[in-house]
Amino acid sequence: MTVVTRRDPVTAASEGTSSTRLLKLRLCRFHVEKEKEPFGVTGGKRVRPPQTHRTMADSDLDFQTGESGASATFPMQCSALRKNGHVVLKGRPCKIVEMSTSKTGKHGHAKVNMVGIDIFTNKKYEDMCPSTHNMDVPAIKRLDYQLVNINESYMSLMGDNGEVREDLRVPESDIGKEIEAKFEAGEDFLVTVLCAMGEECAVATKVLPIK
Amino acid sequence: MAAVGAPEVITQLEGAAKVLMAPPSMVSTEQRQHAEHVFLSFRKSKSPFAICKHILETSKVDYVLFQAATAVMEAVVREWILLEKTSIESLRTFLLTYVLQRPNLQKYVREQILLAVAVIVKRGSLDKSINCKSIFLEVGQLISSGNPTVQTLACSILTALLSEFSSSSKTSSIGLSMEFHGSCKRLFQEESLREIFMLTMEVLQEFSRRENLSAQMSCVFQRYLTLANQVLSWNFLPPNLGRHYIAMFEATQNVTLKPSESWREALLDTRVMDLFFTVHRKIREDSDMAQDSLQCLAQLASMHGPIFPDESAQVSYLAHLVEGLLSMINGIEIEDSEAVGISNIISNLITMFPRSILTALPSDLFTSFINCLTLLTCSFGRSAALEEVLDKDDMVYMEAYDKLLESWLTLVQDEEHFPRGCFVQPAIQVFNSYIQCHLAAPDGTRNLSVNGISSHEEEEINELQEDDRELFSDQLSSIGMLGRVAAAHCIPLLTSLLEDRVTRLHGQLQRTQQHLMAASDLGTVDRKVLDDLYEDIHWLILVSGYVLADDPQGETPVIPTEVMEFSIKHSTEVDINTTLQILGSPGEKASSIPGCNRTDSVIRFSKALAFGIQSFYKLRKCVRLLSAVLRTSEVESRATRASLTELLSPQMGKDIMWFLRRWAKTYLLVDEKLYEQISIPLSTAFGADTEGAQWIVGYLLEKVINNLSVWSSEPELANDTVELLVTLVEKRERANIVVQCESWWNLAKQFASRSPPLHLLSSSVQRTLMKALVLGGFAHMDSDTKQQYWAEVLHPLQQRFLNLINQENFAQISQEESVKQEIVATLEALCGIAEATQIDNVASLFSFLMDFLSSCIGLMEVYSNTPETINLIIEVFVEVAHKQICYLGETKSMKLYEACLTLLQVYSKNNQSRKRSDVTAEEDQYQDLLLIMELLTNLLSKEFIDFSDTDEVFRNQDQGTPASGRTVSAADVVLYGVNIVLPLMSQDLLKFPSLCNQYYKLITFICEIFPEKIPQLPEELFKSLMFSLELGMTSMSSEISQLCLEALSPLAEQCAKNQEKDTPLFIATRHFLKLVFDMLVLQKHNTEMTVAAGEALYTLVCLHQAEYSELVETLLSSQRDAVIYQRLADAFNQLTAGSTPPTMDRKQKVAFLKSLEEFVANVGGLLCVK
Repeated sequence: MTVVTRRDPVTAASEGTSSTRLLKLRLCRFHVEKEKEPFGVTGGKRVRPPQTHRTMADSDLDFQTGESGASATFPMQCSALRKNGHVVLKGRPCKIVEMSTSKTGKHGHAKVNMVGIDIFTNKKYEDMCPSTHNMDVPAIKRLDYQLVNINESYMSLMGDNGEVREDLRVPESDIGKEIEAKFEAGEDFLVTVLCAMGEECAVATKVLPIK
Repeated sequence: MAAVGAPEVITQLEGAAKVLMAPPSMVSTEQRQHAEHVFLSFRKSKSPFAICKHILETSKVDYVLFQAATAVMEAVVREWILLEKTSIESLRTFLLTYVLQRPNLQKYVREQILLAVAVIVKRGSLDKSINCKSIFLEVGQLISSGNPTVQTLACSILTALLSEFSSSSKTSSIGLSMEFHGSCKRLFQEESLREIFMLTMEVLQEFSRRENLSAQMSCVFQRYLTLANQVLSWNFLPPNLGRHYIAMFEATQNVTLKPSESWREALLDTRVMDLFFTVHRKIREDSDMAQDSLQCLAQLASMHGPIFPDESAQVSYLAHLVEGLLSMINGIEIEDSEAVGISNIISNLITMFPRSILTALPSDLFTSFINCLTLLTCSFGRSAALEEVLDKDDMVYMEAYDKLLESWLTLVQDEEHFPRGCFVQPAIQVFNSYIQCHLAAPDGTRNLSVNGISSHEEEEINELQEDDRELFSDQLSSIGMLGRVAAAHCIPLLTSLLEDRVTRLHGQLQRTQQHLMAASDLGTVDRKVLDDLYEDIHWLILVSGYVLADDPQGETPVIPTEVMEFSIKHSTEVDINTTLQILGSPGEKASSIPGCNRTDSVIRFSKALAFGIQSFYKLRKCVRLLSAVLRTSEVESRATRASLTELLSPQMGKDIMWFLRRWAKTYLLVDEKLYEQISIPLSTAFGADTEGAQWIVGYLLEKVINNLSVWSSEPELANDTVELLVTLVEKRERANIVVQCESWWNLAKQFASRSPPLHLLSSSVQRTLMKALVLGGFAHMDSDTKQQYWAEVLHPLQQRFLNLINQENFAQISQEESVKQEIVATLEALCGIAEATQIDNVASLFSFLMDFLSSCIGLMEVYSNTPETINLIIEVFVEVAHKQICYLGETKSMKLYEACLTLLQVYSKNNQSRKRSDVTAEEDQYQDLLLIMELLTNLLSKEFIDFSDTDEVFRNQDQGTPASGRTVSAADVVLYGVNIVLPLMSQDLLKFPSLCNQYYKLITFICEIFPEKIPQLPEELFKSLMFSLELGMTSMSSEISQLCLEALSPLAEQCAKNQEKDTPLFIATRHFLKLVFDMLVLQKHNTEMTVAAGEALYTLVCLHQAEYSELVETLLSSQRDAVIYQRLADAFNQLTAGSTPPTMDRKQKVAFLKSLEEFVANVGGLLCVK
């Protein structure tokens, strides 16, 4: 059985009263998407709105996709971070591609130097902090959906539980072209959606396993 | 041949030269490339002698002259056999005269022309067509002319000859084999080299007599001095060295002087040595020349071998050298530029002269020498410290100091050959000065510049910078040895200094604490005093560690004899009760305990009392040094409890851990069987079944646990801490005590529960901690306890994991952060468990891990879109294969192969249909591939290293059919893996050197080990494998190229075995025949590769005889010149003469390889002509 929660994104935005978390998320998406376009081209001059971490206070908003009210980030001591792991740098969710320690003077305490790449924009960030400090680590999710339809650049994506969402645009990237081409060709395939700190983006495709 | 069109050629060349010499902005890249091409093809043109002569005589452009000289040199070698001997001789005369007549030639043009002359002489000496004698006659005349310009020219000729004959790295430039170079060199070193030396000595003699040297004269002087240095640094080739050995031999740096007997007269003459001392005295203020003259003396100091007729000759030579050296040093104030040279002389004579010769020196002379060495060492040490303060780029004194300390080590290691105790006083002086340089004022001089002002700058130190204990390990080893030689002085000195510093540190921390209570701001604390104390303690602990124990890699460390003797000697004066008390109270000040002066300074405990240790310990002096370190450790721990961690030095924490680990390896539970005599106090304090040992193990455990919670943020300190823990449990005897401690069990429980603070540790530290906990589990315990232990350590891991993955909705919750963390922690722990593998625990660990491996494959599915998890899962397999495969018997290996195969299948399935666009996609894939190749190589290593029951392994290998139940072989897994890796490998990825090496190593292994599997590969895979080989052979580094060539022989042999024609492999080998043929015959190649390429060629020729003949025919028919044709045809006939018809027979192959070498030497260069 397939439950379709289909809403036109524009009308959803104008409704503004829906209390579902999904809608909130979608509003955020929509908002971000509009700004994201120039961002992709100019390479990140835009000032992002302050990140509002979703906290437990939001959990009264029933989360339709079955997630708990887990926060978007959690703290971790610098020393426990690892290469290939994730961290929030300058307010952005990043994958750590380089990590090293240094100290000031022979008897100084360790500091951690990190280079991260924004998992959505590919922009590089660097940061250094005392290794005793806590850093925010973004909760990262990768979910696979089956692509059902593309409507005016919005994907209809069906999750494992049969629910369909239509709030994600086809990204303007190679993978976006890939998605459109595969869809045109009538192929059955999965789309992997990467989700962190309230932002979502399709990052990979995968041909459906033959059952 | 007339110079047809010579003016045009010259115009073209001069135009091209102008382009090449123009500033980069003036010409385009294309123009530049074109100009380069003009010169390259000019140099390749056939018989360019006439035109070159013409150019040399007419052109005014230096660069064109240079190129003409190069063209002549290359062409002479290339066309040697076609040239008349007389025309070669006239060419040589022309070149030499040319240079003589043009004193104003640019230096680089002149040198190039002389190089051409030298090459002609060398090539000529091969077929004896040129006699060197006449050249030396000419040069001798030039020298005696007295004209500085002409003398310089003479020097240049000799230098050119010397470098052409000396080095075999020039091989490729004349395309001759190592043997030819070797025999040229041997011939040269017997006569011509000595002639050059004699000529040089005459010149030096002459100059050293003159009073005032003009600038021009001293320039000539310097050139001859350099030449003398080159002669004395000649790497004398011993007779009868195999070809392989020659290549190795030529690569050695720091050549020592080992002339043949024929040099006796020339070098044993004391006037030679005196001359060099005189020369040095004369020019020592000129730093460039001084380096050469000192280097000459250093070479003379390294002289050894058949040149000495007997021992007495050697003794008198050495005595003369030492006398000369002492009178040279004593009369002067040493210049900065002399330090390294002088230390080289000393280091060479100490290293090269046998102990018996050194001790045969007159005792006065020997004593003066040792005293001089002592003073010099201390003085260089102080200057080195000064250099560090000034942060000089060029640390000449440091280098000199290192050399001298190394020489001390050499001397002291052979102490028994020398008069007893003769090194004690020098050792004390050197040791004291080292300590002094490393302590802060007022005791020491650290960071003090010349005017006594101390500098204190904090520099940024990154993790790549080595810790002092490694950076200065050579110095510290020497100082440690000297400290042992003078143990009676050095150990008490270290103890009292360390005790003093710890007391001061304690006081300073207390004062700071009070200050903080008032001001409560850490920023206001002056760290200068603390940092000075930390730095003092840092060096004192390092030196103590090096004095008390060695760090023998892989051997059982033993207590140094000197320390043992020292301990025994002082055991009688030890007051047992007091010693115990000190040892037991690391928190107390030693001097506050009455009678502490009578305790053994190597041990001091105080907590011992709290642990109920009775007063049956005798404490030794060496134990008191340990107790000083324990006190430092205790002060540190107390400061952490008082929340002063901020103020502590992680470096000091590391030092303490490092010392305790080094100490524990050697002293804890001493095995009395290893020693002839044992110090009673040492064995009663730390021997097996002693309460002292139990107490210290308990203390160390507490310390480790405290460190892991306090210092989780300091990765290096945490790492040193867990390494100490591993040391405590890796030996069964120590582990037996460890597992009796309650704190050990608490640690295990705490880690298993994944609660703070242990989970804050970095992943590598957590892995090592896991390793230690597993190792501890194999200690001796009764079966109930053991069961309980595993229930605490491993079962929670398994239970938590199973509970998690067996949840019905695991797939849904798998992306939740807490779930992902649990999974990552489990995978990390598995890596740690695999690391704990030893031969005696592999059975139980393997079955434990195997259960997980199958679950891990399930995880591969669930986390197929989560690259960091996938990567970690593969790593678990890599670790298990790496640590365990060599111990596994057949059935168990099979299980592992199967698991690996499934892993690879799932990986491949999940990746085939995936397309990613995120930034790190390429990096992730690179890491996966590297790990997979590592996994495959680990699995293959079973073929070389196998500790499992060999009978069982062999029984099944010889059977053609698979053993019953045998489902998967290593070959299947590896080939399947290659199947995954190959399509993903791109030429871009091969640009990562590590990946490229690993990849080619893997495919060469496969071709060598499973050639029979290659023909069965799927077509695509087969093609890409062959393409990879071709790519590796033709366009990678020579190392890779060699690997690929080595892979070809087994493939060709496989084809021959099968006897099937027209298989893809058969066709591919035919293609390789052409490639290898071209490579060997037509292209300039690295001579090192001749053997690998030759072996490949031979097997390929055996397989494709008809095609080979065709290749030869085609090559011959393209030759228009009848002489060349004949010569080539003969060469090819000779090449295969010893192996007709070619068969895969070792004897024939060897014959072929031998004639191939001649072939390459004869016609190799010939075919390169355009």
